[in-house]
Amino acid sequence: MNNKSPIKKLLAVKGMGAALTAFVGLIIIYIAFGLINPAVFSSNNILNLLRSMSKYLLIGIAQSYVLITGNIDLSIGSMVAMSAMISATLMTLGTNPFLAVLVALLCCLVIGVINGILVGKFKLPPFIATLGTMFVGRGIAYMVNNNRNTDAIATGVGKETGDAFQNFFYYGTTAGIYNTFWIAIIMFVIFFFLLSKTRTGRHIYAIGSNIDAAKLSGVNVVATTTKTYLVSAVCSWVVGLILCAQAGMGNMEAGNMYEMYGVAAGVIGGVSPLGGTGILLGTLAGSAVWQTLENGLNMIGAQVGIQRLVIGVIVVVAVLLDVVLRSGQFSKKKKG
Amino acid sequence: MRQEVFRMERVTYLDKGSKQLEDFNLQIYRGEIMGMIPISAHGLQALLQLMQTNMPLYDGHVFYCGERVNSWKSTRRSVNRIGVIDAHSRLVEHMTVTDNIFVLRQGFRQNIIKNRLLQRQLAPFMEDIGVQIPADTYVDKLSAFERVTVELLRAVVAGYRLIVLHEISTVINGDELAKLYEIMQHYAGQGFSFLYISLHLEEIMEVCDRVALFSNGRIQKVAQRTEMKSEIVQSYTMEFDKMVRYHIGQRNVGGREEKIVLSLSHISGEVLTDFTMKVYEGECLVVQNLDEQVLRDILSVLNGDGNLCEGELCMEGRPICPAYCKELALISADPTKTMVFQGMSYLDNLCMGLSRRVPGIWGNNRMKNSVRREYAEELGEEVFAIPVEALGEKQKYQLVYTRVLLQKPKVVVCVQPFRGADLTHRVFIWKMIEMLLDKGMAVVILTINLADSLSLADRLIRVSKEGIVQEVGKEAFGSLSVAAPWIDLYR
Repeated sequence: MNNKSPIKKLLAVKGMGAALTAFVGLIIIYIAFGLINPAVFSSNNILNLLRSMSKYLLIGIAQSYVLITGNIDLSIGSMVAMSAMISATLMTLGTNPFLAVLVALLCCLVIGVINGILVGKFKLPPFIATLGTMFVGRGIAYMVNNNRNTDAIATGVGKETGDAFQNFFYYGTTAGIYNTFWIAIIMFVIFFFLLSKTRTGRHIYAIGSNIDAAKLSGVNVVATTTKTYLVSAVCSWVVGLILCAQAGMGNMEAGNMYEMYGVAAGVIGGVSPLGGTGILLGTLAGSAVWQTLENGLNMIGAQVGIQRLVIGVIVVVAVLLDVVLRSGQFSKKKKG
Repeated sequence: MRQEVFRMERVTYLDKGSKQLEDFNLQIYRGEIMGMIPISAHGLQALLQLMQTNMPLYDGHVFYCGERVNSWKSTRRSVNRIGVIDAHSRLVEHMTVTDNIFVLRQGFRQNIIKNRLLQRQLAPFMEDIGVQIPADTYVDKLSAFERVTVELLRAVVAGYRLIVLHEISTVINGDELAKLYEIMQHYAGQGFSFLYISLHLEEIMEVCDRVALFSNGRIQKVAQRTEMKSEIVQSYTMEFDKMVRYHIGQRNVGGREEKIVLSLSHISGEVLTDFTMKVYEGECLVVQNLDEQVLRDILSVLNGDGNLCEGELCMEGRPICPAYCKELALISADPTKTMVFQGMSYLDNLCMGLSRRVPGIWGNNRMKNSVRREYAEELGEEVFAIPVEALGEKQKYQLVYTRVLLQKPKVVVCVQPFRGADLTHRVFIWKMIEMLLDKGMAVVILTINLADSLSLADRLIRVSKEGIVQEVGKEAFGSLSVAAPWIDLYR
């Protein structure tokens, strides 16, 4: 019989080690920045940190789903922009916000389905397929409002409705914490459950680990791949709405480079870019590390260039550490 | 009356215009363990594919569980519920045993996974066959035997009535093979049928009820258990047998000075600890790995990209980095697939080995042409004009071994050299390895199965996770308690 202790069971879960490492890293980084500037520990900063982190968590979930199947989604940033622009444009035209966000969702889902079919059915390299849809998505975001950012959404739907929209997605709080964080956490729980406790989740891991074995085991590769791109589309859609609510308008450049932030959040948390391993708990830690770094570097007055440089180095070191630890080369003694 | 599970009747099958099976007949009954020896493996892969998937036939019919599933008249391109287990894992590595057995199977309808329930469901299956594999173990942590057992259980749980085991003895050792036979017999008693494909009649004789001799897409003969020792069956392997008997008598390494060319000292890897091994000049050393992970450990040390935690690798007393040592050559398993550079010309493929000794060869056409002239007689002029992808299996083996010959290393490491090769090719590989030995090179054969390899050996080392468990010189091969052919010749 299996009588392992709960801690051993927890650590035996694939990807848990990397996720816990990322959490430990997060604590160290947070304390280090806090010691340099105590304002980092202030409740205001913590609340802001949680809110800002939510965007990265959502795109991290989006990219992690796709990465676990061994693919990548470069169209995330464009879908974010599409979502923000389509919903904002419709709202400025006076459309009901519910209808506006549903239309934005539909457009994002179409991109997700196209990605899934191109990669799953036609077996296009995911980098190329999603590079194409990235440009298409960004193009649509530009074209929606004739190559201009939108006006304030309140001009179309009225101040009260506009404020309600902005409060729901960004400025409002529930139990003292910004709604953005709650939205992200609810989505995290749903997608965490989907990935770790359902048949679809197992199929996602199976495709990333051994696609041939998965096919032989009766896994519908096209459908499962498409599902991961749909998850990516849904998360991008929500992030688009958050950005729209944050600015109170649609910005054509919204979500620029977000696909790469998603990759970073995933790999820092231990999601393998080669597919097959990683858990969303790691992505949660990865996105928190990412945002804490950005926030902390800001608080200590580091220039944007330095911020990017440090974050870039940390991403590479995180992946390098993972590769080195897995291959056991860390303990290798070099002979002369 | 015996109930038939699977039948192929007068099947002729063409793949890309090439005839793979011709007038092929095979019948397997319920609860039967049918053996198959591929004397020539041409068409064997097509047979395995055709058993699993109903591809369009040129002629004939296929029946499974009493139903006609494929016919030359109409093809549904459907999949038959037949499990195939071979040297390469068909499990999903990063998932657990229960996931692979239950979740990843057609017909699994639970949307939410209840791990404890699945673990409870698996327990009786494990108890039934007397195997203890923790249900929550990830597949990449399993030994080769455990992996094969899980694949077998998966087929049983999925309700496959016929399970094909293809060259399993290349990945699991003799004791594990005996345990596997017990499991097979247990399930055969419950009505499951097996097709056991192996190159060795000794294995077939141990477990199978009947044997079919497969050659060039046809069944040459089907023999009952009582007929397996008959001259008719044995005659198919006669040529190889004669050759081995002759060479065992001829090869003599006695009286030679024992000079160490390669030494591995206090090597530790993932499972191996403090392993030390010496290779003498010109000898053929067979290293039998009693565990596949041990083989991976030794191999990773010898090819230089493994998890060598500590220890030293020396060539004639000098520490070396195997990846850059031109005096050490390695021929990996399935070399026709893993060691041929697709897209490069035959001559360039051949010169890859030589380029380790003569780095400037790529810019020196005169030297390349001289190599071509020198080897054209032996290899045939035509091979230089054929794209390497279009070469026959034998030509590919010849290319790989000749490339090593051109490199002139002091030690050649062959990883499971006979794996995947049919009888015809085994004879050829045997000759190629002997050619290397005749040139004075030491050959180290890393293997799991001793059949074939032992007949070439001057010395045998048996290695488990604990290290060397037995070291035997040629003179004492007769005392080995292993089921290998030609062992009687040493007694």
